[in-house]
Order: sequence, then C-alpha cells, then structure tokens
Amino acid sequence: MSYDRQSDRPHRGGRSRRYRADDYDTHDRRREAFATPEDILKGEIIKLGEDAIQELPRLAKQIREQVPVSVPVISEGIRMAVTEQPYKIPYYAALLRLLHDTAEGENAESSTTSSLGKQVLEDFWKGFQGYLDKLAWREIRLCIHLFAHLTVAQIISIESMSALLQSFAAVLDEFGVSYGRGRNAALSAIEGLIISGAVMAKSSSSNTTEIIKTIQNYNDSIYSSKLLVQPMMSLFTESRFVKNTDEVLDTGLAVLKALDFSEFAEASDSFPQPYLDFPDLDPTESAPFELPAILVPPEVIELDGLATDAGEDAQVKKEEWPHYFLHLFDDITTPDPATPTGFLIRSNILDTIDIFEINRKECARLLLEYPKWCVPGTFRPKPGAPVPEFESGKNWQLESAVVEAVLGSLFLLPDSTHKSVYHIALITELCKLSPSTVGPAVGKSIRKLYSALADGLDVEIARRFAEWFAAHMSNFGFSWVWKEWVPDLALSEQHPKRTFMRRALEFEIRLSYHDRVLKTLPEPMQNDTNVISDQAPGPTFEYEDPANPHYDAAQSILDLLRGRSKAEEVLSHIESLKTTLEASGTHVHVDSTIRSISIHCLLSIGSRSFSHLLNAIERYLPLLRGLAGTDTESKQDILSAVASFWRLNRQMVNIVFDKLMQYQIVDPTDVVGWTFENVTGDAHLSGMRPMSLSAFEWDLLRGALDKANGRVMVARRKVAALRKEHDDSVARVKASGGADVGSMEIDTEMKPFKQGTVQHIIVLAPSLTELFLPDDSASENPQLTVALKAFASLTREQKGALARTIEGFVSCLAPPPSAGRQNPHAQTVVTEQAWENRSEWQADEWNTWETWGWYRHFCRTYSPYLRNYQETLGTVGFAKIEGSTSPAAKLMKKTWNIATGQEA
Amino acid sequence: MAHVVQPLDQPSNYKDSQSRVERAKQNDLLSKSTTLYIGNLSFYTTEEQIYELFTKCASPEDGGGIKRIIMGLDRNTRTPCGFCFVEYYTHAEALASMKYVSGTKLDERIIRCDLDLGYREGRQFGRGKSGGQVRDEHRQDYDPGRGGWGAQAQRAEAERRREVEERYADAQEGPGAVAGGGGDWKETETVDTSRKRGRSPEDEGDNLRLGHRSRMDDMEAERM
Repeated sequence: MSYDRQSDRPHRGGRSRRYRADDYDTHDRRREAFATPEDILKGEIIKLGEDAIQELPRLAKQIREQVPVSVPVISEGIRMAVTEQPYKIPYYAALLRLLHDTAEGENAESSTTSSLGKQVLEDFWKGFQGYLDKLAWREIRLCIHLFAHLTVAQIISIESMSALLQSFAAVLDEFGVSYGRGRNAALSAIEGLIISGAVMAKSSSSNTTEIIKTIQNYNDSIYSSKLLVQPMMSLFTESRFVKNTDEVLDTGLAVLKALDFSEFAEASDSFPQPYLDFPDLDPTESAPFELPAILVPPEVIELDGLATDAGEDAQVKKEEWPHYFLHLFDDITTPDPATPTGFLIRSNILDTIDIFEINRKECARLLLEYPKWCVPGTFRPKPGAPVPEFESGKNWQLESAVVEAVLGSLFLLPDSTHKSVYHIALITELCKLSPSTVGPAVGKSIRKLYSALADGLDVEIARRFAEWFAAHMSNFGFSWVWKEWVPDLALSEQHPKRTFMRRALEFEIRLSYHDRVLKTLPEPMQNDTNVISDQAPGPTFEYEDPANPHYDAAQSILDLLRGRSKAEEVLSHIESLKTTLEASGTHVHVDSTIRSISIHCLLSIGSRSFSHLLNAIERYLPLLRGLAGTDTESKQDILSAVASFWRLNRQMVNIVFDKLMQYQIVDPTDVVGWTFENVTGDAHLSGMRPMSLSAFEWDLLRGALDKANGRVMVARRKVAALRKEHDDSVARVKASGGADVGSMEIDTEMKPFKQGTVQHIIVLAPSLTELFLPDDSASENPQLTVALKAFASLTREQKGALARTIEGFVSCLAPPPSAGRQNPHAQTVVTEQAWENRSEWQADEWNTWETWGWYRHFCRTYSPYLRNYQETLGTVGFAKIEGSTSPAAKLMKKTWNIATGQEA
Repeated sequence: MAHVVQPLDQPSNYKDSQSRVERAKQNDLLSKSTTLYIGNLSFYTTEEQIYELFTKCASPEDGGGIKRIIMGLDRNTRTPCGFCFVEYYTHAEALASMKYVSGTKLDERIIRCDLDLGYREGRQFGRGKSGGQVRDEHRQDYDPGRGGWGAQAQRAEAERRREVEERYADAQEGPGAVAGGGGDWKETETVDTSRKRGRSPEDEGDNLRLGHRSRMDDMEAERM
C-alpha cells in the first residue's frame, strides 16, 4: 500500500480531508474554511510566511482595513502565531513595528489615541499575563522572545524589558525553587538577553551582568544533579562538562558570558531582525511601550490529603532534571549551541518538535522549511538550488542539525519529553519527505552513536538507540550495512557494541520475523549466536520429549487442558500427580516440579498467540491461583517456569510476567525479587557469571515497578473521583433544599465503579476542601472505604517493590562481605584507572558496568517515588551496607542521595 | 492548542457501519475510547508483532498498557484477514497510537489506526462476501501480504483457471490429433501481429507469490 493512497479514500466532510490528505502542497493545505472575518484575519496573521518581508506591508494594510478594527482579534492572532510558530517571531515583531506607524489619514487623531501597534501590544500583554498565571513556560518564553525583539525595534522600553528579565532571574533566588521552575525561568531570561542584550548593554541602567550572575549562582547550586543525567556515563568523574555533550543552562551561560564580554557585539547578525529595515521610531512622537511590572506566580502545590498508611505523601511530582544534549556532529556541520545563533536555532528546533507533537508529518515539513526563517546562508542551500550571492554564510547542514536535535530530545535522561516513539516516527517522516538528504544524516548519526557506545554512552540511551534503530529499520526495509560492523565481532561478547547489535536485532525480529532479519546480515553475523539466535524465538516445552521423566504427567495435564476440563478438575489431577511423585520417593522438590510442569502445559496451550495466552490464563485462573498459593516461593517457581518456557523469546517473558501481574497471580514485588534472584545479565550465553543486569532484566524491573506505580495512580484517581461524587451529591441534596441530609441515600445515586471504567475518569484538580473529608463521612460511603483501603494496600506494595529493588542492587553491586554471592568487579569498574583500561575488559566487567548504569537509571527515573519514601527506603534498602566505606557502597549511597535530593 | 496544524489524534471518517449507536453518542464514546481499529495489516502479521509496536504507546506508569488484541479473522477460514483491534487501558494511549503509529509501517506495510467505539462480539470477523474484509473483495491489485488478488479477482481467476483446465479436456492422441497449420505463403500477404503479451507490472507479483510474504513497496527507500 503506497503512502499517498490514503488521500484517495472517499472522504466525508472537508475537515477530515484537510489533514488526512498527505500531500504537502502548502497552498492546498492552507485552503482553510474560516467562518467569520475575524477568523479570516487571525488565519492571515498565522499564515504569514511565503515571503515574509514582502508580505508584511500587505498584512499590515489588511489589518488596518478590517472594519471594524478589533484589537483583541489582532492580538490573539499574533499570540497564537508567536506561541505556536517560534521561528516566525522576528517577523511578528516587524509586523508590530509596522502597526506602530501612523497610518495615512490618521494624522489628525494621532495626538489623542495611541497607535494601533501599541493598542495591540497592550492587549497582547493580557494574554502574556494569562500564560504567567498558568505558568505555561514555553508560551511565556516565546512571548519574551517577541518582547526582546520589540525592545531592539525600539517599541518596548529598554528599562521595562530589563525589569521583566530581572523578574525571571528573581525566581532563581527563591528558597527551594524546583529544578523545573528554575530552568524555565533561567531559559526565559537567557533567551531574552541573547536577543535584546545588544540594546540593553548600551543602556545606562543595564542589569545584564547582574542577571548573568544570578543564573550562574543558580546553576552552581544544582551542580550534583547534573552528574546523574550525563549522556556519557562516567562513574568516577565529578565534572559536569563531558566531551561532545552540553547541558542547556551551562551552554546558555557560556553564550551570555561571551556576549557580555564582547558587549553584545556578536548578537546582531545572529538571528533575523527584519524590523531594523524600517526607519527608527521617533521617541518624541510616540513613547516606547512600558511593560508592566510582573511577579512570577508561585507553583501551585495540589494537596489531595492522601497519604500512605505510614503517613508519607504518596503524591508523585514529576522530577525535572538538567537537559544534556549529545553532539553527534562537529561545529562545521551543525550549529554550535555555545554561540548565540546556535543556541537560538536549537531552541527553535526543540520548540518546534515540542509544539507539533500533535502532527508529526507537519512537524517534519516545518523542520525542513526552517532555513527560510533564518539569516540567509545559515544553512547550506538545498542541492540544486541556486547558489546564493553571499559568501559569509555558515552553511550548516539542516538535516544533520534537525536529526541531532530530535535525537537529543529522544535521549534526554531520565525520560524524553515525549514518548520515544514520537521521535522515532518524526525521523521516519523526515526521511520520507526528503530521503536523499535526511537518509545520510540518519546514517551518520547511527554511526556516531555506535562509536559512542565504546566510550560510555549511557545504558538507557543505548537501549533507546537500539529501539530507535530497530523501529527505523522496520520502516525502511531493514536495510542497514551490517557489514561495516563485522570487525567488532572480535570484541568481548558483552562489549556495548556487541550488546547493541544483539538487542537491535532482537528488536527487529520482534517487529518482523527471524528469517527476514537473518537475511539482512552478512555471513559472519548470521553464524554467530552472540549476534542473532540460530532459530526463530519459539516456545521451549521441556516436557514435550518422551524421554523426559515427566513426559506422561505433562501429557495427562495437557489432555485435560486441551479438553477444556474445569480448573478444579485439573487441580485435583495435579494433586494426585503430586502424591504419586512423592510416593515414588525418587524426586526432590516435588512441589516445584509440579508447578513447573503445570505452568509449561498452560503456557503451551497459550503459546500460539497473545490472545491464546490471555484465554488460557483466564480460563484457568483458579488453577493459577492454586499453583501460586500464598507463599513467595511458589510464585518464584511460576516465574521461573515462564522464563524457561520462553527462554528463546524475551518479549514473551515480558508479556507473560505483565499479565501474571495484571491477573494478580504474582505481585510486582515477586517479579522484582525473581529478577534479582535470577539475574545473570546475558550470562546464560557464556555460563555462570557474577550477578549483573542487562537491558532485559531492566525491562522486567521497569515493568514491575511501573505496574506498582500505575496501580497507585489509578487508586488515587478512584478515591478522588469518589470523594468528588460524594461531595457533589451532598451539595445537590443541600441545593435542592433537603433538610435531612442524613436520611438521604447517597449511595443509590452513585453508579457502581467497575475495574477498568475508573481509568477513564478525568479528575479535575479538586480543591483542598473538596477532598479533605473527616473520617466519619468516608465511613458513610462504603465504596470510598473500599477505595481507601485499596489505596493503602497498593502504596504498601509500591513501597515494597521499590525497597526490594534497592536491596537487589545492593546485593549485585555492593554485597556485604558475608553475602554468598560476590562480584569482584563491582568495586573495580568504578575507578578511572579501570575505565581507561576498558579495552582489556571481559564480559564480567562490562556486565558489571552496565549494572551500575541501570542502578543510576533506576535512581533518577524513580526519584519522585524514592523521594516520597526516602526515609523508609533508605533505611531498609541500604541496611546491609550501612556504614560501609567500600568505594562501591559509597558510590551507591552518593547516587541515592543525589536522586533523592539530599545532596545539593 | 492547535491553530497552525490539525492534530493527528482526531477521529477520522472511519466508523463501524453496523453500529446502531446514534451519532452524538458515538462521538462521546470515541472521546473516551481505549480501542483502536488497525487496518491494512498483512495476513501474516502476528499479535506479538502488533504488541511490540503498540506497546511503544503504552503508559504503564499511569495505569495503562495493552489490555488485549483481537485479531480480525476471515469468517469462513478463521485465518487473519488483515485487521485487528488493539485495546488499551487508557484513552491517552489510544490517542498516542493515532499520533505516532498510524501511518508508519508494521511488517513492511503502512498501517492505519482509528479510534473505535469498542469491540463487540462478532466484530472480529471480516464482513466481505467472501469472508474477509470488504476492501479485499474488490481490490484490483496484487497484494502478496493480503492473499494475492482481491476476492472477486480471485474468484474470476479461479473461473479462468477452470476454463483453462477444461479447454483441452477433449484433447486426443494419435495422427491427426494436432492440426498441420497450413502451408507457405502463396498469394495474399497477411499482417504479422505478435500475439505475445508484453510484460506488465503485475508480473512482478508472480515472483513474489512464490514465497516472499513481504511486499517491498518502498518508494522511500533510504540511502544511508
């Protein structure tokens, strides 16, 4: 099916046609059906662009000729345009500059009324105030871009602009300012200063140096958190500057300092300033606009009065971390973010990626059109385009810059800003739009990332890299030149490059099938089971072989399951098998054996597809419950049986574990425990290894922890919804004048909540009073009591799973001397000396290094949860290494302290 | 938020033509839907492949995940017929799939996603006359991932094959069973027109039919 086929489908209604049609003809796409003249005008403002400089006077004229002139319509149009099209902001500044001129024929009135431009700006300010109240940071920052340009254009007074930026710098001095708030405020000030600094520096009241100092102090205060999110993992360094990466505040500061040093000489030709083409404004004729003074409102902390039974706050506030970006290309190829131009270009591209997340196809188109909004010569002209007459251009490669920025945002730690699949799909769209130019940029990026694997690319980034690689290849015929990596087969099989190849191919197979992927490989790889398995990832039914001592037992269970016998019958049959086995006296671990046989049989009848699995589980839930019993050991047996049945297919291990948790056969803590008890990393490939985790084990852990956290989230929403419903019905009764609220049967008005439906309820942030109910009112409502109980037990489970994870990591990386299993490398791989010698590392060292990586990732990913429970978790989890001074124990504690905010 | 472009997560003109639910109610259901209809699948694509792709849009930390996958089957043969339903636990996950997965490839075919009112018994089967999907009924192209020719075309081909098979059923052996064909040119010239059919694009499909299950329609083959 070809891609443009979609547009051939019959359409009903023009609305769907407009965005379904996949042709990128801009003129067609913009044939919008706006209803009112106001909407048409707004549309015209937003559309500004094919040749902005020429269009501006026409647009200004059109705005003026609108009858009646509606200032709010104009300002709203500009506000939408500015906050949704950051790359056009300089041109909207120019538009406002034009609207500042007195129109012909208006002379008589000019002395009494202010210019249209000023009126629009006054109204625009109201919108800005709205963004401030909501703390909509991106919109705030983009409005500041506009204000900064207008300051250069002499429309806004320098003093009021510098006061505005000062207000954002002031946020950084707040006591206990959250990192997210701090970064956003700092970026607003930094970008505002880069744009307007040149005129501000000339002013006598310049506070530029002061603002830079404030940002610098703030940046120094958040020093340690940077150590946990660097894209190149270094276990020993204390430096926040790592080669080929940059942190956005560090870089912003560097840009500002350089500009300040040169008195902002460099700034003027760094970005378009179309408004400078117009004659200077005469300040005596029309005084510049004074931006009103502002105070950045404090963050609203929503309290919902829900605490765990130990009294901890269970609310999760997503933690923000410093933003590090990987540099895949040199400064000749892509803009250097440490220059004013480079910094603003990256900011523009990242904002575009963020804003157009709702439509990746349009996003790709806009990104590839980006150069037309830049100073001419910024990017190399398209192949075949006329060679421009000027020579001084930077001639960067647009596609490389865009792919670098998209990947930079995909590889942010601990999480990318959007789901990783968005970035993956966006790069796919870019490649489809311009295969001949984006394709090579993607190829080069893959090679750069691949070589970074040998120099400590963070384990989570490596995992996302493999995920992207596989998904990308599945969109482009799996055509990668694997041959060039054949020499790396000489590396240790656990070298990050080797694990990358293995994982990428495993992910490709999941999206496709074994034979298809195998065919894409050169022979040396096809024959290396450390690269790709030699068979399709099917099930391994251990008791299928007639030679197996339990063959008959397994067959008898299978017959019952295939005959759809009742779960009770199967259970009693299993009991009798057990008795026989015990009586024979030749078998040890009879219980475990029976569990293993039964699970293998059940999985066998469910092995044909995901749906078959669900059907098998659902039909035999009582059987599974019977097998799982109440003790931990039997649950471990079940998980082990699953892992052995699907030993060739890790995707299925993930899926079955997930569904066993979903059907509550096992708990997340069981899965965490099992994972650490059975960790071998990729060790099954080469015999027994010291305890270590690979990306596969991390996936299991993450699945379990997310399940535990997700359940708490759902339970919390349910409680909130029930409380709200309860309050609403009380209020209704009161409103209807019912005097005897007590006799009113509130419950009958409530629809019963079923599992599943509650997940769709969107809880509007309830106010404190709405949620805070005295205990007795909760007891009036049995559903609420049940929900609160569920919440309490789920937070207990959540805490248990987290604590078990910490314990597990301690036993892998810093086991107390008394522990049975020791990993001698846990201490050694953390030193600089060992790292410099990594070319000598064998599988054990690399496995251990990766395990350290997953520990760091665990701490930074789950830091919001860890913070809530830091007292308990810190005590329980680290009990075994309390007071230990071994380097490994110290590094574990330090990492923990940074993640929980106990180390500045 | 979207004044510049149209979001991709809006319901399209896809609908369950047999749904008896009124329009307003349908829109309401769609605005909360956790179910997606997935179209243009290869008949060979497995649930696990679908799971792998769609799990990228799951938000387990928010109580989400893939709840179930219902494979669309041919009513008569009970084999996959090129569509499925993916049901998540949350609406946001369904929207994410609309934004990030719809229009990308799975098993080397561009698939499409649409918000669905929710699975009902019976909807797992194709509604075409031949048991598969309606679109495969009248399809004119050869699509190896979806059973080759469209069902109607297949029936027509079966008909042709039957004709071919019956055509020589009366063939005989022995002298005189094969005609001589006439002698050399004598008096009048006849125009020699080649009866050999030119190579048509469809011939490509004949090769693929032999074993390749994937269809390589990469207009956008990428140069690395």
